[in-house]
Amino acid sequence: MAVNASGLRVTIDGPDGIILESDDEHLCAKPPTDDGAIVSRLIPSLGIDQIEGRRRFEVIVDGWLIKASIEPSRAAALRERSRRAASQAGHHIPIVIRAQIPGRVVRVWVAQGEAVEAGQRLLAVEAMKMENELKAPRAGTVDSLRAAMGQTVETGDELVTIA
Amino acid sequence: MTVPFRRVLVANRGEIALRIVRTLQEAGVEAVAVYSDADSRARHVRAADHAVRIGPPPASESYLRVDNILDAARATQADAVHPGYGFLSEQAAFATACADAGMVFIGPSPETLAGLGDKIAARRSADASGVPVVPGTFEALELNGMDDAEGMDPLSTVAAGIGWPLLVKASAGGGGRGMRRVDDPKDFPAAVASAAREGKAAFGDGTIYLERYIEQARHVEVQLLGDSAGSIVALGERDCSVQRRHQKLVEEGPAPGLTEAQRERLHGLAVTVARSVGLQNAATAEFLLAPDGQLYFLEINARLQVEHGVTELVTGLDLVREQLWLAAGRPLSGAVVKAAQSASRPERHAIEMRISAEDPANDFAPAPGRLTVWREPSGPGVRVDSGVEEGDLITVEYDPLLAKILAVDLDRPAAMARMRRALGELQAGGIQTTLPFHLWLLGHADFIDGRLSTDLVARAWDPAPIRAQALRRAAEALLRSDSQRFEDKSDHLSSSAHQQAALSGPGERRDSERAWAQAGRREATERWP
Repeated sequence: MAVNASGLRVTIDGPDGIILESDDEHLCAKPPTDDGAIVSRLIPSLGIDQIEGRRRFEVIVDGWLIKASIEPSRAAALRERSRRAASQAGHHIPIVIRAQIPGRVVRVWVAQGEAVEAGQRLLAVEAMKMENELKAPRAGTVDSLRAAMGQTVETGDELVTIA
Repeated sequence: MTVPFRRVLVANRGEIALRIVRTLQEAGVEAVAVYSDADSRARHVRAADHAVRIGPPPASESYLRVDNILDAARATQADAVHPGYGFLSEQAAFATACADAGMVFIGPSPETLAGLGDKIAARRSADASGVPVVPGTFEALELNGMDDAEGMDPLSTVAAGIGWPLLVKASAGGGGRGMRRVDDPKDFPAAVASAAREGKAAFGDGTIYLERYIEQARHVEVQLLGDSAGSIVALGERDCSVQRRHQKLVEEGPAPGLTEAQRERLHGLAVTVARSVGLQNAATAEFLLAPDGQLYFLEINARLQVEHGVTELVTGLDLVREQLWLAAGRPLSGAVVKAAQSASRPERHAIEMRISAEDPANDFAPAPGRLTVWREPSGPGVRVDSGVEEGDLITVEYDPLLAKILAVDLDRPAAMARMRRALGELQAGGIQTTLPFHLWLLGHADFIDGRLSTDLVARAWDPAPIRAQALRRAAEALLRSDSQRFEDKSDHLSSSAHQQAALSGPGERRDSERAWAQAGRREATERWP
């Protein structure tokens, strides 16, 4: 994708990974949006990964809650280049699996040091009377296991690290 | 007539507690709210005349604590207790404890509750009084050594006799919990084990029973009221077929497509079952309606139902007010008797949609969090029963139901149009809700035409393309709004965590029929491939 000098990039959170890019001029020429979207600016809280110049938003469209960020296209391109360089240098980054919702750990299927396959069940967190299974996003070994049966966890708590 | 009670304690929380408090206030009765630490500033607490703390956030330490609730009732000198739905509403022990403490329990007698809590006993009662029940077992099946194959053998034999697919149900189950559908005999042992485990965990009863799964059935239920003299009437039916994992998402009344004769038969069966268990006060009899028109009794819920508002809108009654009079020993009111006489010829149609903190793109998984945006619909023919407000923290401790949106009109198409309009007015932000599902459903041909069955959601709900389209529109909207803000040099939104830039006028949401709106969207899509 060509990087526009004055452009902006929107990145939607999550695996769907929609990226839209454009320059200001076209956008400003458009009439106010007609799509009923509600856009709210999110204020970064401490401890959440923050990238310079990136602003976070919540957008609601047809009842869908969508989180996204906007940053200058140039900044995004620079960051991507450095990340590519890092991965080519052979860095193997462990994956940290965090609690997506607050709740209680009601099942633990793996043990520290155990080899897991992609998609394998790791543990279950109970919230709102329902069990939610957490699965391994890729194959690897359980490097650390910080969740114990019966433990109460909050959103963002580190549960398992897959190396 | 004099008001039967002076002060009533509402042993519940959220939307149903607020709904009951409202009727109490209209009746000139003082309302006592109870609350856990998570709810100290909740709407139901602020609405009540008195409020008593009953414990920390977990329900097992607050809303399920009979002793704490009775202490609160004594301390406030309440003369009656309304249990709402869920929590202690169907616990015979709670009803007994209220009576022992000299308070009226607004619901059926403890004996009736004890009888109905055992779903299999209710099946036996119905069968004995000639009401058809779903083929299956009539005894609780104990699972000794459920993990070994030998313990399972006798059960498997029974299951094979019933036929596949079948449902494994926890004897004390409810609300879809402790229920498993089995299509293949090899999955049967695992289903039995997990249903029993869930029943044991949720209700303290690990026994199960088996029922044949009636394919493409509709779930219909009849609203009942009964007085202490033994008079029982049916106030019309509701169709609750739109479910996921056996939990209701949408309810409507009357059930679409039934003839007057079918309604009369359904209501008659419900009254027969209710009479066989000696029902008093409010209850609902649930049935399956098979594609061939055959009705099968499922169970009786002896309490106010979540979806009672549907019947209230169709009949014009206030069921909670009627409950108060019935609990005070009065006979069925004239208004109730009149409504019952015309129950098979309803003149209005009402629909209810449950807006829950769940992610419809992720198998309706819980989606707790801070409700940063919350605007409720209103206007003609729209009723909103909610217990939340903007800024509330929706915790994992309780049911994810945020609000029930109800729409009523003279017929079903008009009620659907009202619902569409109302959902367009609803704004929820900060957490994912079931709203996208409901918007989709209102546009789905099967729902529009009234072709309802309990497998509709599992069969037809495919969120991926719908969500993908929303993501794209969100990205476009964000780019546009943000660059406009740059141009204005007005990018100082940081003063508020959820300051909004509502990007359209009120009537303009999703109005794809507008030509200029469509053209604009197409243009935007083409510009950023």
